Amino acid sequence: MYVAAKGGERAIQQAEQLFRELNGTFDATFVRLIERHMPYLIDRVMGEGSLYAPELAALALAQTGGDLYEAVLLLRAYRSTQPRLAYAEPLDEAHTFTVRRISAAFKDIPGGQYLGPTLDYSHRLLHLDVLDGRDSAPASPDGATGDPIDKTGAADLPFDPHPPALTDWHRRYGLLAPLPDLPPHDPASVPDVTRDPIHFPAPRAHRLQSLARADTGGVLALGYASMRGYGMIHPTVNEVRLGYADVRLRHPVSGALFSAGRVRVCQGEVVTPAGSGSDAHPSTNGAAPPAALNPGFTATIGWNEVKVIAGAMLDLEMEAANAHPAHREEFVLYHTEAVEASGFCIHFKLPHYVTFNSSLDAIRRAYAAVQQAEPQ
Amino acid sequence: MAVPLMSPQEERNHVTFTALMRALSHPGREQRLPDTGLAAFVAIGDALVDLETSYYTPHDALAAALVRTGARFLSPLQARYQFYPQLHDQHLDHLRVAPTGDYVAPEDSATLVVGCVIGSGPAVELRGPGIRSAIEVRIDGLPAAFWSLRAGTLRYPLGWDVFLVAGDRVIGLPRTTRVEMIE
Amino acid sequence: MTLAELARPAQDYSYAFLDEFAKREVRRRILKAIAIPGHQVPYASRELPIARGWGTGGLQVTLSIAGPHDIVKVIDQGADDSVNAVNLRRFIARMTGVATTSDAQLATIIQSRHRITEERLREGQVLVLQVPDPEPLRAVEPNISLAREMHADADYALMWLGLYEQVVRFGTFMTGASYPVVVHQRYLMSPSPIPRWDTPMLHQAAHLTLLSAGREKRLYAVPPYTDVRPIEFEDVFFQVENQQGRICEQSGAVNKFMNEIPQPDGSMCYQASDTGYVEKLVRRARGEPVAIGATYYDDDGTFYHPGYLKEQEPDHR
Repeated sequence: MYVAAKGGERAIQQAEQLFRELNGTFDATFVRLIERHMPYLIDRVMGEGSLYAPELAALALAQTGGDLYEAVLLLRAYRSTQPRLAYAEPLDEAHTFTVRRISAAFKDIPGGQYLGPTLDYSHRLLHLDVLDGRDSAPASPDGATGDPIDKTGAADLPFDPHPPALTDWHRRYGLLAPLPDLPPHDPASVPDVTRDPIHFPAPRAHRLQSLARADTGGVLALGYASMRGYGMIHPTVNEVRLGYADVRLRHPVSGALFSAGRVRVCQGEVVTPAGSGSDAHPSTNGAAPPAALNPGFTATIGWNEVKVIAGAMLDLEMEAANAHPAHREEFVLYHTEAVEASGFCIHFKLPHYVTFNSSLDAIRRAYAAVQQAEPQ
Repeated sequence: MAVPLMSPQEERNHVTFTALMRALSHPGREQRLPDTGLAAFVAIGDALVDLETSYYTPHDALAAALVRTGARFLSPLQARYQFYPQLHDQHLDHLRVAPTGDYVAPEDSATLVVGCVIGSGPAVELRGPGIRSAIEVRIDGLPAAFWSLRAGTLRYPLGWDVFLVAGDRVIGLPRTTRVEMIE
Repeated sequence: MTLAELARPAQDYSYAFLDEFAKREVRRRILKAIAIPGHQVPYASRELPIARGWGTGGLQVTLSIAGPHDIVKVIDQGADDSVNAVNLRRFIARMTGVATTSDAQLATIIQSRHRITEERLREGQVLVLQVPDPEPLRAVEPNISLAREMHADADYALMWLGLYEQVVRFGTFMTGASYPVVVHQRYLMSPSPIPRWDTPMLHQAAHLTLLSAGREKRLYAVPPYTDVRPIEFEDVFFQVENQQGRICEQSGAVNKFMNEIPQPDGSMCYQASDTGYVEKLVRRARGEPVAIGATYYDDDGTFYHPGYLKEQEPDHR
């Protein structure tokens, strides 16, 4: 019986010891190996953990034996111990080194499409020969070796790592509503989902922040429901972008902007023709002529294309006037919170015998009341 | 792993907060702050405000001390934490417009920290949550209109909450406390 | 923050794990919660090294109010020794250096999941209740935005309707634990999943109760000496769980909240769920000197506030 006995502390220690014995020990070298060789896993843990710290994410994965939800929780808990010292400047294209940028909307786009590092068009075959001791490096087309640029061959056009946003082009030609003309934002006044619980309808900042740190699987499940036909929109991927963004801060004394480092980021953008299906969007721009397209957007730290595409679709769905219950804002944002959902799920393992006893009492009382009421 | 220790500043914040929590839990009962005089106001400021909230005070030296917290200095119309080491008649207009929250979020309201003299002056009788039946306290050094202004501003659950500070003593006066003047 | 503070020896963690900003935020919310009894105050709710839903709400409150001189008791289902209680208690002790106890009389802070102690708490003690779902209206209004508006308007008609339907269908109230209460004649509040046996203990209590839901990011309070009334009708009353005829097999205690332990032969045996109290009864029976406080219910099952619990006419039982 796991409640009883004075051995609670001993039980916990022994359970943890069993876990360690079963799963092996790890050291700093192993953590570095994970960090170097599992970047997409690291990105996912950092994204859902809301903390850009590849080394700590690798440590979290090592420590939990790869249990993703546990690793995310470790990172979030560590995050709670870190004070907020400054607010960074907003990220923009000009300060992001883009390595991958694709659009499904057009054959080519201003600034060009870059396939970048991806396995999208590779055959998903297990490299079984690695198990026989061969190197995993893919054979290059011409068998050449050398630096990675040489391996991929020279591009036809000069590579611009800072292409403009495709939506800028849409806006210039009236396909998207112009951005609202807002004064420069005090970063401290942006609603922050790690500080204020969400109220609905959520401020845009809260929605995007929630999606950025949402559970990838949860966002995919709800997003997929939309794609499969429960949604009312039929979007097109306007732009998916992966890159390294400068984290720019203002020096507290001189006020000068400086880069504190680069982080991996990605963003997904989908568009849908305005008024398509039954998704008549509530007009947000008053007298302005109706735009042709409505946009949906999600961005996150780390590279996680599934999440930003599914998230962008959900962003659009949440705007729809009569969204499916599973695509309403409150439903989506509450139920894709990785740490809350996984934590609450496993809390059902805790004893509940007091509450269970209490409901038994209510049932017995009702049963007695029924017997009493029956004619003798 | 060694148990983490409080820094002296953290300890001061903790002692101050504990006094405030007890003061609000037992309105009318004096609690002791770790500092006295203006430093008591600074201690309350340090314990409660930082760059995620806002403050107001008409007192220049106190304003200068609270800048260090990183909190935003806002007008009495907006500031969540307002410090009046000496509440003069002209400040009553500030209190009249201080945030009282709205019905969805009555907690979005001001907390007023007000200097006074405890133990002399007019007697008031307090009733409400935190008080077993009634408690009588004597408070001096406030504008005569303070109590009627408080009663007029309060629309429970809307209202502001008050800490009355005298030297190193503090009394809590949450919005739930009913105040009756004793002649 | 001063240079001297930055320069002091590095620690693995801040005092009480949460950094000073996080604690200050929780403290600000606690003060507002005390000023508006029963009203759910939203707060940031940082993640802790304990899974969400396992007491992180209560833990954040405890960590924000505890100092090195506090004495902390942690219980789950009334038990000090369940692994979950042990785990939370050792985390609190490890991060704050507080002393720990199983004796409700000695504790300055009692963090609990699903129970209040049988011994009466006194002035100055703080009871921290872990809350899975802070919203008493959830059963009648799952949409949190609408529920907030209902609280704003003090519009609890749906709740009363639900209660009425229970009486019509079942002849009695069907709510088990988490029986909703009205606090200070204004806010409908979930007392957390404490059994109905414990609900009256919140009424005009000497101690401060802080309730906190980490996952749902809400905290609320019942100050000392505050009215807490379960919702009931003029002719159908709130009833606590029936403990009559149950004797604790460990301590001989009667008229306390009992765990039912099913036996292989189909019968039940009973143990008082408050293990700290049982421990003291057992020690006293052995002749050891031990201070046992007055209890909320006496051995005849009479609650200490006369008239608070009303006897139901037999035809409604």
